[in-house]
Amino acid sequence: MIEVRGLTKRYGNALAVDDLSFAVEPGKVTGFLGPNGAGKSTTMRLVLGLDRPTSGEALVDGQPFASLRDPLRRVGALLDAGLVHPGRSGRAHLQVAARTAGLPRRRVDEVIDLAGLGGAAGRRVKGYSLGMRQRLGIAAALLGNPSVLIFDEPINGLDLDGVRWLRGLLRQLADEGRTVLLSSHLLAEMQQTADRLVVIGRGRLIADATTDEVLQGMGGPRARLRTPEPDRMLAELTRRGLTARAHGDEIEVEGASAEQVSVVAHEVGVPLHHLSDGTHDLEQAYLELTERHVDHRSGPQPSAPTTPKEER
Amino acid sequence: MTTESVQAVPRLAADDVPVGSVSTRTLAAEWARLWTVRSTWWFLAAAAVATIGLGLVAGSSADPAESQGDAAWAVSAISAMPAQFALLALAVTAVAADYATGGIVLTLQWTPRRGVLFAARTIVVVVTTTVVAVVLGFLSALAGYLAASPTLRLPVGEGVDTLGTVAFVLAASSALAVGLGFLLRSVAAALVTVFLLILVLPLFLLAAGQPWMVDVASFLPGSGTAFLLLGGGPPGMSTEAAFAVLGAWGVGGLAAGWVRLARDDAAR
Repeated sequence: MIEVRGLTKRYGNALAVDDLSFAVEPGKVTGFLGPNGAGKSTTMRLVLGLDRPTSGEALVDGQPFASLRDPLRRVGALLDAGLVHPGRSGRAHLQVAARTAGLPRRRVDEVIDLAGLGGAAGRRVKGYSLGMRQRLGIAAALLGNPSVLIFDEPINGLDLDGVRWLRGLLRQLADEGRTVLLSSHLLAEMQQTADRLVVIGRGRLIADATTDEVLQGMGGPRARLRTPEPDRMLAELTRRGLTARAHGDEIEVEGASAEQVSVVAHEVGVPLHHLSDGTHDLEQAYLELTERHVDHRSGPQPSAPTTPKEER
Repeated sequence: MTTESVQAVPRLAADDVPVGSVSTRTLAAEWARLWTVRSTWWFLAAAAVATIGLGLVAGSSADPAESQGDAAWAVSAISAMPAQFALLALAVTAVAADYATGGIVLTLQWTPRRGVLFAARTIVVVVTTTVVAVVLGFLSALAGYLAASPTLRLPVGEGVDTLGTVAFVLAASSALAVGLGFLLRSVAAALVTVFLLILVLPLFLLAAGQPWMVDVASFLPGSGTAFLLLGGGPPGMSTEAAFAVLGAWGVGGLAAGWVRLARDDAAR
Protein backbone atom coordinates (compact mmCIF):
# COMPACT_ATOMS: atom_id res chain seq x y z
CA MET A 1 0.00 0.00 0.00
CA ILE A 2 1.33 3.39 -0.99
CA GLU A 3 -0.42 6.54 0.19
CA VAL A 4 0.39 9.97 -1.13
CA ARG A 5 -1.27 12.83 0.74
CA GLY A 6 -1.13 16.44 -0.32
CA LEU A 7 2.34 15.90 -1.69
CA THR A 8 4.03 19.04 -2.99
CA LYS A 9 7.60 19.48 -4.22
CA ARG A 10 9.06 22.76 -5.33
CA TYR A 11 12.49 23.08 -6.96
CA GLY A 12 13.31 26.77 -6.84
CA ASN A 13 10.41 28.40 -8.64
CA ALA A 14 9.28 25.25 -10.40
CA LEU A 15 6.43 23.31 -8.88
CA ALA A 16 7.20 19.70 -9.79
CA VAL A 17 4.46 18.08 -7.73
CA ASP A 18 1.39 20.07 -6.73
CA ASP A 19 -0.81 18.90 -3.87
CA LEU A 20 -0.96 15.34 -5.15
CA SER A 21 -3.01 12.71 -3.33
CA PHE A 22 -3.68 9.13 -4.34
CA ALA A 23 -3.41 5.62 -3.00
CA VAL A 24 -1.91 2.55 -4.64
CA GLU A 25 -3.61 -0.60 -3.44
CA PRO A 26 -2.24 -4.11 -3.14
CA GLY A 27 -3.26 -6.84 -5.58
CA LYS A 28 -3.41 -4.50 -8.56
CA VAL A 29 -1.09 -3.11 -11.15
CA THR A 30 -1.44 0.65 -10.95
CA GLY A 31 -0.22 2.63 -13.92
CA PHE A 32 1.24 6.07 -13.27
CA LEU A 33 0.77 8.20 -16.35
CA GLY A 34 1.67 11.66 -17.37
CA PRO A 35 3.57 13.52 -20.07
CA ASN A 36 7.27 14.12 -19.67
CA GLY A 37 7.94 16.51 -16.84
CA ALA A 38 4.56 15.80 -15.25
CA GLY A 39 6.25 14.88 -12.00
CA LYS A 40 6.05 11.08 -12.07
CA SER A 41 9.70 10.48 -11.27
CA THR A 42 9.72 13.23 -8.68
CA THR A 43 6.71 11.65 -6.99
CA MET A 44 8.48 8.30 -6.94
CA ARG A 45 11.62 9.88 -5.45
CA LEU A 46 9.48 11.52 -2.78
CA VAL A 47 7.78 8.21 -1.98
CA LEU A 48 11.22 6.63 -1.59
CA GLY A 49 12.43 9.38 0.73
CA LEU A 50 15.17 10.41 -1.70
CA ASP A 51 13.88 13.95 -1.96
CA ARG A 52 12.24 15.85 0.84
CA PRO A 53 8.70 17.06 0.08
CA THR A 54 7.98 20.76 0.37
CA SER A 55 4.75 19.72 2.06
CA GLY A 56 2.55 16.67 2.37
CA GLU A 57 3.66 13.12 2.94
CA ALA A 58 4.08 9.77 1.29
CA LEU A 59 3.63 6.57 3.24
CA VAL A 60 4.54 2.99 2.42
CA ASP A 61 2.51 0.50 4.44
CA GLY A 62 1.63 3.38 6.74
CA GLN A 63 5.20 4.49 7.35
CA PRO A 64 7.52 7.00 5.71
CA PHE A 65 9.92 4.98 3.57
CA ALA A 66 12.98 6.52 5.20
CA SER A 67 11.94 5.14 8.57
CA LEU A 68 11.82 1.53 7.33
CA ARG A 69 14.39 -0.59 9.11
CA ASP A 70 14.58 -3.18 6.38
CA PRO A 71 13.51 -1.33 3.21
CA LEU A 72 14.76 -3.90 0.69
CA ARG A 73 12.39 -6.51 2.13
CA ARG A 74 9.44 -4.12 2.05
CA VAL A 75 9.86 -2.11 -1.13
CA GLY A 76 11.57 -2.99 -4.40
CA ALA A 77 12.10 -0.02 -6.65
CA LEU A 78 13.68 0.64 -10.00
CA LEU A 79 13.87 4.35 -10.77
CA ASP A 80 16.53 4.62 -13.44
CA ALA A 81 18.38 1.56 -14.67
CA GLY A 82 21.30 3.75 -15.74
CA LEU A 83 22.13 4.75 -12.20
CA VAL A 84 24.49 1.90 -11.43
CA HIS A 85 28.26 1.95 -10.94
CA PRO A 86 29.51 0.86 -14.38
CA GLY A 87 32.65 -0.73 -12.98
CA ARG A 88 30.89 -3.29 -10.82
CA SER A 89 29.64 -6.61 -12.20
CA GLY A 90 25.93 -7.24 -12.14
CA ARG A 91 26.43 -9.94 -9.53
CA ALA A 92 28.59 -7.67 -7.33
CA HIS A 93 25.91 -4.97 -7.58
CA LEU A 94 23.27 -7.42 -6.36
CA GLN A 95 25.59 -8.71 -3.65
CA VAL A 96 25.93 -5.21 -2.22
CA ALA A 97 22.13 -5.09 -2.04
CA ALA A 98 21.99 -8.58 -0.52
CA ARG A 99 24.46 -7.60 2.18
CA THR A 100 22.48 -4.47 2.94
CA ALA A 101 19.40 -6.59 3.54
CA GLY A 102 21.28 -9.44 5.18
CA LEU A 103 20.27 -11.88 2.45
CA PRO A 104 22.24 -15.01 1.55
CA ARG A 105 24.31 -15.28 -1.62
CA ARG A 106 22.04 -17.86 -3.20
CA ARG A 107 19.26 -15.30 -3.20
CA VAL A 108 21.40 -13.27 -5.60
CA ASP A 109 21.63 -16.27 -7.93
CA GLU A 110 17.87 -16.77 -7.71
CA VAL A 111 17.05 -13.25 -8.88
CA ILE A 112 19.77 -13.40 -11.57
CA ASP A 113 17.95 -16.45 -12.98
CA LEU A 114 14.57 -14.86 -12.48
CA ALA A 115 15.52 -11.73 -14.39
CA GLY A 116 17.16 -13.72 -17.15
CA LEU A 117 20.58 -12.11 -16.65
CA GLY A 118 22.37 -15.46 -16.81
CA GLY A 119 25.98 -15.25 -17.93
CA ALA A 120 25.93 -11.45 -18.10
CA ALA A 121 25.86 -11.30 -14.30
CA GLY A 122 29.61 -11.80 -14.11
CA ARG A 123 30.37 -8.98 -16.56
CA ARG A 124 30.80 -5.36 -15.64
CA VAL A 125 27.66 -3.24 -15.98
CA LYS A 126 29.61 -0.94 -18.32
CA GLY A 127 28.97 -3.39 -21.17
CA TYR A 128 25.25 -3.88 -20.53
CA SER A 129 22.56 -2.80 -22.94
CA LEU A 130 19.72 -0.72 -21.52
CA GLY A 131 17.53 -3.82 -21.58
CA MET A 132 20.07 -5.73 -19.49
CA ARG A 133 20.33 -2.85 -17.06
CA GLN A 134 16.55 -2.91 -16.72
CA ARG A 135 16.70 -6.61 -15.97
CA LEU A 136 19.44 -5.97 -13.41
CA GLY A 137 17.33 -3.26 -11.81
CA ILE A 138 14.29 -5.54 -11.73
CA ALA A 139 16.43 -8.30 -10.20
CA ALA A 140 17.54 -5.88 -7.47
CA ALA A 141 13.95 -4.78 -6.87
CA LEU A 142 12.81 -8.39 -6.38
CA LEU A 143 15.79 -9.38 -4.25
CA GLY A 144 14.16 -8.86 -0.88
CA ASN A 145 10.81 -10.39 -1.89
CA PRO A 146 9.09 -7.06 -1.18
CA SER A 147 5.36 -6.49 -0.91
CA VAL A 148 5.53 -3.12 -2.66
CA LEU A 149 7.10 -2.62 -6.09
CA ILE A 150 7.78 0.69 -7.79
CA PHE A 151 9.04 0.81 -11.38
CA ASP A 152 9.79 3.98 -13.32
CA GLU A 153 9.58 3.30 -17.07
CA PRO A 154 10.73 -0.31 -16.76
CA ILE A 155 9.86 -1.18 -20.34
CA ASN A 156 12.41 1.24 -21.84
CA GLY A 157 15.06 -0.68 -23.70
CA LEU A 158 13.50 -4.11 -23.26
CA ASP A 159 13.12 -6.20 -26.38
CA LEU A 160 9.80 -7.80 -27.30
CA ASP A 161 10.49 -10.92 -25.27
CA GLY A 162 11.50 -8.71 -22.37
CA VAL A 163 8.31 -6.68 -22.57
CA ARG A 164 6.21 -9.83 -22.62
CA TRP A 165 8.17 -11.25 -19.73
CA LEU A 166 7.80 -8.05 -17.72
CA ARG A 167 4.08 -7.83 -18.43
CA GLY A 168 3.62 -11.37 -17.12
CA LEU A 169 5.81 -10.66 -14.13
CA LEU A 170 3.87 -7.53 -13.15
CA ARG A 171 0.59 -9.40 -13.47
CA GLN A 172 1.93 -12.20 -11.34
CA LEU A 173 3.31 -9.86 -8.68
CA ALA A 174 -0.08 -8.15 -8.40
CA ASP A 175 -1.92 -11.48 -8.34
CA GLU A 176 0.29 -12.50 -5.44
CA GLY A 177 -1.21 -9.58 -3.55
CA ARG A 178 1.68 -7.18 -3.91
CA THR A 179 1.32 -3.47 -4.53
CA VAL A 180 2.64 -2.62 -7.98
CA LEU A 181 3.13 0.97 -9.17
CA LEU A 182 4.48 1.40 -12.66
CA SER A 183 5.07 4.45 -14.75
CA SER A 184 5.45 4.22 -18.47
CA HIS A 185 5.06 6.35 -21.53
CA LEU A 186 4.15 3.26 -23.54
CA LEU A 187 0.45 3.78 -23.07
CA ALA A 188 -0.72 0.91 -25.20
CA GLU A 189 1.31 -1.24 -22.82
CA MET A 190 -0.50 0.29 -19.84
CA GLN A 191 -3.81 -0.53 -21.44
CA GLN A 192 -2.85 -4.20 -21.33
CA THR A 193 -1.03 -4.18 -18.02
CA ALA A 194 -2.61 -1.73 -15.62
CA ASP A 195 -5.79 -2.34 -13.61
CA ARG A 196 -5.91 1.22 -12.37
CA LEU A 197 -4.51 4.44 -13.66
CA VAL A 198 -3.27 7.48 -11.82
CA VAL A 199 -2.89 10.21 -14.42
CA ILE A 200 -1.01 13.41 -13.62
CA GLY A 201 -0.10 16.51 -15.57
CA ARG A 202 2.14 19.29 -14.34
CA GLY A 203 2.36 17.64 -10.96
CA ARG A 204 -1.40 17.58 -10.46
CA LEU A 205 -3.81 14.71 -10.32
CA ILE A 206 -5.93 14.46 -13.47
CA ALA A 207 -7.54 11.08 -13.05
CA ASP A 208 -7.48 8.24 -10.55
CA ALA A 209 -9.74 5.38 -11.60
CA THR A 210 -9.75 1.93 -13.15
CA THR A 211 -8.26 1.72 -16.62
CA ASP A 212 -11.72 0.94 -18.03
CA GLU A 213 -13.25 3.97 -16.36
CA VAL A 214 -10.55 6.25 -17.65
CA LEU A 215 -11.03 4.89 -21.15
CA GLN A 216 -14.83 5.02 -21.08
CA GLY A 217 -14.81 8.43 -19.51
CA MET A 218 -13.17 9.89 -22.56
CA GLY A 219 -15.54 11.22 -25.21
CA GLY A 220 -18.44 8.91 -24.43
CA PRO A 221 -19.26 5.57 -26.10
CA ARG A 222 -18.02 4.52 -29.49
CA ALA A 223 -18.95 1.76 -31.89
CA ARG A 224 -17.54 0.12 -35.02
CA LEU A 225 -19.50 -1.61 -37.73
CA ARG A 226 -19.27 -3.12 -41.20
CA THR A 227 -22.16 -3.14 -43.60
CA PRO A 228 -22.72 -3.79 -47.33
CA GLU A 229 -24.58 -0.43 -47.45
CA PRO A 230 -22.13 1.98 -45.87
CA ASP A 231 -23.42 5.13 -47.56
CA ARG A 232 -26.96 4.62 -46.40
CA MET A 233 -25.86 3.73 -42.91
CA LEU A 234 -23.63 6.80 -42.72
CA ALA A 235 -26.51 9.00 -43.80
CA GLU A 236 -28.92 7.47 -41.29
CA LEU A 237 -26.44 7.84 -38.43
CA THR A 238 -25.65 11.42 -39.34
CA ARG A 239 -29.36 12.23 -39.60
CA ARG A 240 -29.68 11.08 -35.97
CA GLY A 241 -27.04 13.54 -34.90
CA LEU A 242 -24.24 11.05 -34.48
CA THR A 243 -20.72 11.55 -35.75
CA ALA A 244 -19.93 8.69 -38.10
CA ARG A 245 -16.89 8.25 -40.33
CA ALA A 246 -15.87 5.59 -42.76
CA HIS A 247 -12.46 3.98 -42.24
CA GLY A 248 -11.93 1.66 -45.17
CA ASP A 249 -14.77 -0.83 -45.04
CA GLU A 250 -15.53 0.04 -41.42
CA ILE A 251 -17.65 2.79 -39.98
CA GLU A 252 -16.77 4.35 -36.69
CA VAL A 253 -19.55 5.98 -34.68
CA GLU A 254 -18.94 8.41 -31.87
CA GLY A 255 -21.45 9.07 -29.13
CA ALA A 256 -23.33 5.78 -29.48
CA SER A 257 -22.81 2.28 -28.16
CA ALA A 258 -23.10 -0.86 -30.31
CA GLU A 259 -26.53 -1.42 -28.78
CA GLN A 260 -27.79 1.99 -29.96
CA VAL A 261 -26.31 1.47 -33.42
CA SER A 262 -28.02 -1.91 -33.73
CA VAL A 263 -31.37 -0.23 -33.06
CA VAL A 264 -30.68 2.28 -35.85
CA ALA A 265 -29.70 -0.51 -38.25
CA HIS A 266 -32.82 -2.46 -37.37
CA GLU A 267 -35.09 0.58 -37.86
CA VAL A 268 -33.75 1.35 -41.31
CA GLY A 269 -33.27 -2.28 -42.32
CA VAL A 270 -29.58 -2.18 -43.10
CA PRO A 271 -27.77 -5.50 -42.62
CA LEU A 272 -24.68 -5.45 -40.41
CA HIS A 273 -21.71 -7.79 -40.93
CA HIS A 274 -19.94 -6.64 -37.85
CA LEU A 275 -20.79 -4.50 -34.85
CA SER A 276 -18.76 -3.87 -31.72
CA ASP A 277 -18.18 -1.36 -28.97
CA GLY A 278 -15.11 0.62 -29.88
CA THR A 279 -12.30 0.63 -27.38
CA HIS A 280 -10.61 3.92 -26.88
CA ASP A 281 -7.02 4.03 -27.61
CA LEU A 282 -5.47 4.83 -24.28
CA GLU A 283 -2.93 7.01 -25.98
CA GLN A 284 -5.70 9.14 -27.38
CA ALA A 285 -7.62 9.25 -24.12
CA TYR A 286 -4.54 10.20 -22.25
CA LEU A 287 -3.54 12.93 -24.65
CA GLU A 288 -7.03 14.39 -24.46
CA LEU A 289 -6.94 14.32 -20.67
CA THR A 290 -3.54 15.87 -20.27
CA GLU A 291 -3.89 18.38 -23.09
CA ARG A 292 -7.15 19.67 -21.76
CA HIS A 293 -5.60 19.92 -18.38
CA VAL A 294 -2.39 21.54 -19.48
CA ASP A 295 -3.86 23.90 -22.09
CA HIS A 296 -6.75 25.22 -20.10
CA ARG A 297 -5.24 25.62 -16.71
CA SER A 298 -6.12 29.27 -16.44
CA GLY A 299 -9.51 28.86 -18.08
CA PRO A 300 -12.52 27.02 -16.70
CA GLN A 301 -11.61 23.44 -15.89
CA PRO A 302 -13.44 20.79 -17.88
CA SER A 303 -15.31 18.36 -15.73
CA ALA A 304 -13.52 15.12 -16.22
CA PRO A 305 -16.00 12.40 -15.35
CA THR A 306 -13.26 10.14 -14.08
CA THR A 307 -11.73 12.65 -11.74
CA PRO A 308 -12.92 12.04 -8.23
CA LYS A 309 -10.67 14.77 -6.95
CA GLU A 310 -11.87 18.32 -7.26
CA GLU A 311 -9.72 20.63 -9.31
CA ARG A 312 -8.60 23.61 -7.42
CA MET B 1 1.10 -14.53 -29.38
CA THR B 2 2.54 -17.12 -27.10
CA THR B 3 2.35 -16.42 -23.44
CA GLU B 4 5.74 -16.78 -21.93
CA SER B 5 5.50 -18.34 -18.53
CA VAL B 6 6.95 -16.28 -15.76
CA GLN B 7 9.17 -17.98 -13.27
CA ALA B 8 7.80 -17.64 -9.79
CA VAL B 9 9.57 -15.11 -7.61
CA PRO B 10 11.21 -17.42 -5.09
CA ARG B 11 9.94 -16.71 -1.62
CA LEU B 12 12.38 -16.07 1.14
CA ALA B 13 12.34 -18.55 3.96
CA ALA B 14 11.95 -16.95 7.35
CA ASP B 15 15.19 -18.50 8.55
CA ASP B 16 17.06 -16.66 5.81
CA VAL B 17 16.88 -13.58 7.98
CA PRO B 18 20.05 -13.49 10.00
CA VAL B 19 20.22 -11.81 13.34
CA GLY B 20 22.14 -8.68 12.60
CA SER B 21 21.62 -5.04 13.07
CA VAL B 22 21.06 -2.63 10.25
CA SER B 23 24.41 -1.05 11.02
CA THR B 24 26.39 -4.27 10.68
CA ARG B 25 24.73 -5.02 7.36
CA THR B 26 25.37 -1.54 6.11
CA LEU B 27 29.04 -1.85 7.08
CA ALA B 28 29.21 -5.15 5.18
CA ALA B 29 27.55 -3.53 2.16
CA GLU B 30 29.93 -0.57 2.23
CA TRP B 31 32.87 -2.94 2.51
CA ALA B 32 31.62 -4.80 -0.57
CA ARG B 33 31.06 -1.51 -2.40
CA LEU B 34 34.64 -0.47 -1.73
CA TRP B 35 36.32 -3.64 -2.93
CA THR B 36 34.15 -4.49 -5.93
CA VAL B 37 35.41 -1.58 -8.04
CA ARG B 38 38.80 -1.58 -9.69
CA SER B 39 39.73 2.00 -8.80
CA THR B 40 40.20 0.97 -5.17
CA TRP B 41 42.80 -1.58 -6.19
CA TRP B 42 44.57 0.88 -8.47
CA PHE B 43 44.90 3.50 -5.74
CA LEU B 44 46.12 0.83 -3.37
CA ALA B 45 48.73 -0.30 -5.87
CA ALA B 46 49.89 3.29 -6.38
CA ALA B 47 50.26 3.80 -2.62
CA ALA B 48 52.18 0.52 -2.29
CA VAL B 49 54.55 1.40 -5.11
CA ALA B 50 55.21 4.85 -3.60
CA THR B 51 55.89 3.63 -0.06
CA ILE B 52 57.81 0.43 -0.73
CA GLY B 53 59.63 1.96 -3.68
CA LEU B 54 60.76 4.95 -1.62
CA GLY B 55 61.80 2.56 1.15
CA LEU B 56 64.00 0.60 -1.23
CA VAL B 57 65.50 3.73 -2.78
CA ALA B 58 66.21 5.32 0.60
CA GLY B 59 67.63 2.08 1.98
CA SER B 60 69.92 1.33 -0.93
CA SER B 61 71.26 4.88 -1.03
CA ALA B 62 71.89 5.04 2.73
CA ASP B 63 75.55 5.89 3.36
CA PRO B 64 76.91 3.47 6.00
CA ALA B 65 79.34 6.16 7.18
CA GLU B 66 76.65 8.78 7.80
CA SER B 67 73.56 6.76 8.67
CA GLN B 68 75.03 3.93 10.68
CA GLY B 69 72.56 2.90 13.37
CA ASP B 70 69.78 5.30 12.28
CA ALA B 71 66.18 4.06 12.55
CA ALA B 72 64.63 2.99 9.25
CA TRP B 73 61.29 4.40 10.49
CA ALA B 74 62.09 7.85 9.13
CA VAL B 75 61.35 6.50 5.68
CA SER B 76 57.83 5.46 6.78
CA ALA B 77 56.92 9.05 7.52
CA ILE B 78 58.60 10.42 4.41
CA SER B 79 56.98 7.88 2.06
CA ALA B 80 53.57 8.52 3.62
CA MET B 81 53.68 12.06 2.22
CA PRO B 82 53.23 11.04 -1.45
CA ALA B 83 51.35 7.83 -0.65
CA GLN B 84 48.64 9.70 1.25
CA PHE B 85 47.39 11.26 -1.96
CA ALA B 86 46.66 7.87 -3.50
CA LEU B 87 44.80 6.89 -0.34
CA LEU B 88 42.92 10.19 -0.17
CA ALA B 89 41.94 9.73 -3.80
CA LEU B 90 40.69 6.29 -2.80
CA ALA B 91 38.63 7.86 0.00
CA VAL B 92 37.18 10.61 -2.19
CA THR B 93 36.29 8.12 -4.93
CA ALA B 94 34.70 5.69 -2.50
CA VAL B 95 32.33 8.44 -1.36
CA ALA B 96 31.73 10.61 -4.41
CA ALA B 97 31.68 8.02 -7.22
CA ASP B 98 28.16 7.21 -6.05
CA TYR B 99 27.17 10.75 -7.07
CA ALA B 100 28.99 10.60 -10.41
CA THR B 101 27.28 7.34 -11.40
CA GLY B 102 23.94 8.21 -9.82
CA GLY B 103 24.30 5.09 -7.68
CA ILE B 104 23.50 7.19 -4.59
CA VAL B 105 19.83 6.85 -5.54
CA LEU B 106 20.00 3.09 -5.08
CA THR B 107 22.31 3.37 -2.10
CA LEU B 108 19.75 5.50 -0.28
CA GLN B 109 16.91 3.24 -1.40
CA TRP B 110 18.68 0.35 0.22
CA THR B 111 19.82 2.34 3.26
CA PRO B 112 17.34 5.20 3.65
CA ARG B 113 18.61 6.08 7.11
CA ARG B 114 21.22 8.58 6.14
CA GLY B 115 22.95 8.58 9.50
CA VAL B 116 23.54 4.84 9.21
CA LEU B 117 24.90 5.20 5.70
CA PHE B 118 27.13 8.14 6.61
CA ALA B 119 28.59 6.37 9.62
CA ALA B 120 29.15 3.08 7.77
CA ARG B 121 30.79 4.67 4.75
CA THR B 122 32.97 6.92 6.89
CA ILE B 123 34.11 4.07 9.12
CA VAL B 124 34.84 1.67 6.25
CA VAL B 125 36.80 4.24 4.26
CA VAL B 126 38.73 5.86 7.11
CA VAL B 127 39.63 2.56 8.76
CA THR B 128 40.72 1.13 5.41
CA THR B 129 43.00 4.03 4.47
CA THR B 130 44.43 4.25 7.98
CA VAL B 131 45.19 0.55 8.29
CA VAL B 132 46.63 0.43 4.78
CA ALA B 133 48.83 3.45 5.53
CA VAL B 134 50.19 1.81 8.67
CA VAL B 135 50.85 -1.50 6.92
CA LEU B 136 52.52 0.24 3.98
CA GLY B 137 54.51 2.45 6.39
CA PHE B 138 55.79 -0.67 8.07
CA LEU B 139 56.64 -2.31 4.74
CA SER B 140 58.33 0.88 3.61
CA ALA B 141 60.62 0.91 6.65
CA LEU B 142 61.22 -2.81 6.32
CA ALA B 143 62.19 -2.38 2.65
CA GLY B 144 64.61 0.39 3.62
CA TYR B 145 66.03 -1.69 6.47
CA LEU B 146 66.60 -4.72 4.24
CA ALA B 147 68.02 -2.69 1.34
CA ALA B 148 70.45 -0.88 3.64
CA SER B 149 71.35 -3.95 5.69
CA PRO B 150 73.18 -3.77 8.00
CA THR B 151 73.34 0.05 8.20
CA LEU B 152 69.82 0.82 9.56
CA ARG B 153 67.95 -0.42 12.61
CA LEU B 154 64.23 -1.06 13.32
CA PRO B 155 63.71 -0.12 16.98
CA VAL B 156 60.21 -1.06 18.14
CA GLY B 157 59.45 1.99 20.27
CA GLU B 158 60.26 4.48 17.53
CA GLY B 159 58.23 2.37 15.10
CA VAL B 160 55.14 2.65 17.26
CA ASP B 161 55.56 6.42 17.47
CA THR B 162 56.08 6.90 13.75
CA LEU B 163 53.36 4.54 12.61
CA GLY B 164 51.01 6.05 15.19
CA THR B 165 51.64 9.47 13.69
CA VAL B 166 51.10 8.14 10.17
CA ALA B 167 47.84 6.57 11.37
CA PHE B 168 46.63 9.85 12.83
CA VAL B 169 47.54 11.86 9.74
CA LEU B 170 45.75 9.44 7.43
CA ALA B 171 42.72 9.07 9.67
CA ALA B 172 42.26 12.84 9.94
CA SER B 173 42.89 13.64 6.29
CA SER B 174 40.75 10.69 5.12
CA ALA B 175 37.93 11.99 7.31
CA LEU B 176 38.37 15.36 5.61
CA ALA B 177 38.35 13.66 2.19
CA VAL B 178 35.20 11.69 3.05
CA GLY B 179 33.50 14.85 4.28
CA LEU B 180 34.45 16.73 1.12
CA GLY B 181 33.15 13.86 -1.01
CA PHE B 182 29.76 14.05 0.70
CA LEU B 183 29.79 17.86 0.67
CA LEU B 184 30.85 18.46 -2.94
CA ARG B 185 29.30 15.32 -4.47
CA SER B 186 31.94 15.28 -7.17
CA VAL B 187 35.13 13.23 -7.34
CA ALA B 188 36.98 15.94 -9.27
CA ALA B 189 35.92 18.84 -7.07
CA ALA B 190 36.66 16.96 -3.86
CA LEU B 191 40.06 15.78 -5.13
CA VAL B 192 41.09 19.28 -6.18
CA THR B 193 40.00 20.65 -2.80
CA VAL B 194 41.94 17.97 -0.93
CA PHE B 195 45.09 18.73 -2.93
CA LEU B 196 44.69 22.47 -2.41
CA LEU B 197 44.22 22.15 1.35
CA ILE B 198 46.90 19.55 1.96
CA LEU B 199 49.58 20.40 -0.56
CA VAL B 200 49.23 23.46 -2.74
CA LEU B 201 47.88 26.20 -0.47
CA PRO B 202 50.25 25.66 2.48
CA LEU B 203 53.27 25.51 0.14
CA PHE B 204 52.15 28.57 -1.77
CA LEU B 205 51.39 30.66 1.30
CA LEU B 206 54.66 29.75 2.99
CA ALA B 207 56.60 30.46 -0.18
CA ALA B 208 54.93 33.86 -0.57
CA GLY B 209 56.10 34.57 2.95
CA GLN B 210 53.87 37.51 3.98
CA PRO B 211 53.33 37.24 7.75
CA TRP B 212 49.55 37.00 7.42
CA MET B 213 49.96 34.31 4.79
CA VAL B 214 52.13 32.29 7.13
CA ASP B 215 49.47 32.74 9.82
CA VAL B 216 46.78 31.45 7.47
CA ALA B 217 49.00 28.58 6.38
CA SER B 218 49.43 27.40 9.95
CA PHE B 219 45.67 26.82 10.14
CA LEU B 220 45.54 24.65 7.00
CA PRO B 221 45.51 20.87 7.33
CA GLY B 222 48.51 20.48 5.02
CA SER B 223 50.70 22.32 7.54
CA GLY B 224 49.79 19.78 10.20
CA THR B 225 50.58 16.96 7.78
CA ALA B 226 53.92 18.47 6.75
CA PHE B 227 54.92 19.07 10.36
CA LEU B 228 53.94 15.62 11.59
CA LEU B 229 55.40 13.65 8.68
CA LEU B 230 58.40 15.72 7.61
CA GLY B 231 59.03 18.08 10.50
CA GLY B 232 58.39 20.97 8.12
CA GLY B 233 55.49 23.37 7.97
CA PRO B 234 55.17 26.96 9.10
CA PRO B 235 57.64 28.34 11.66
CA GLY B 236 56.47 28.14 15.23
CA MET B 237 54.29 25.03 14.65
CA SER B 238 54.17 22.68 17.61
CA THR B 239 53.28 19.01 17.67
CA GLU B 240 50.15 19.80 19.67
CA ALA B 241 49.12 22.50 17.20
CA ALA B 242 49.73 20.16 14.27
CA PHE B 243 47.54 17.45 15.79
CA ALA B 244 44.86 19.99 16.68
CA VAL B 245 44.74 21.65 13.25
CA LEU B 246 44.63 18.37 11.34
CA GLY B 247 42.11 16.82 13.73
CA ALA B 248 39.85 19.87 13.52
CA TRP B 249 39.82 19.74 9.72
CA GLY B 250 38.94 16.06 9.83
CA VAL B 251 36.04 16.61 12.20
CA GLY B 252 34.92 19.78 10.44
CA GLY B 253 34.99 18.12 7.03
CA LEU B 254 32.86 15.26 8.27
CA ALA B 255 30.38 17.65 9.87
CA ALA B 256 29.98 19.64 6.66
CA GLY B 257 29.54 16.45 4.60
CA TRP B 258 26.95 15.13 7.04
CA VAL B 259 24.90 18.32 6.91
CA ARG B 260 24.74 18.13 3.10
CA LEU B 261 23.77 14.45 3.10
CA ALA B 262 21.18 14.86 5.83
CA ARG B 263 19.50 18.00 4.53
CA ASP B 264 19.60 17.90 0.77
CA ASP B 265 17.73 15.80 -1.76
CA ALA B 266 19.60 12.62 -2.61
CA ALA B 267 20.99 13.44 -6.01
CA ARG B 268 20.80 17.16 -6.60
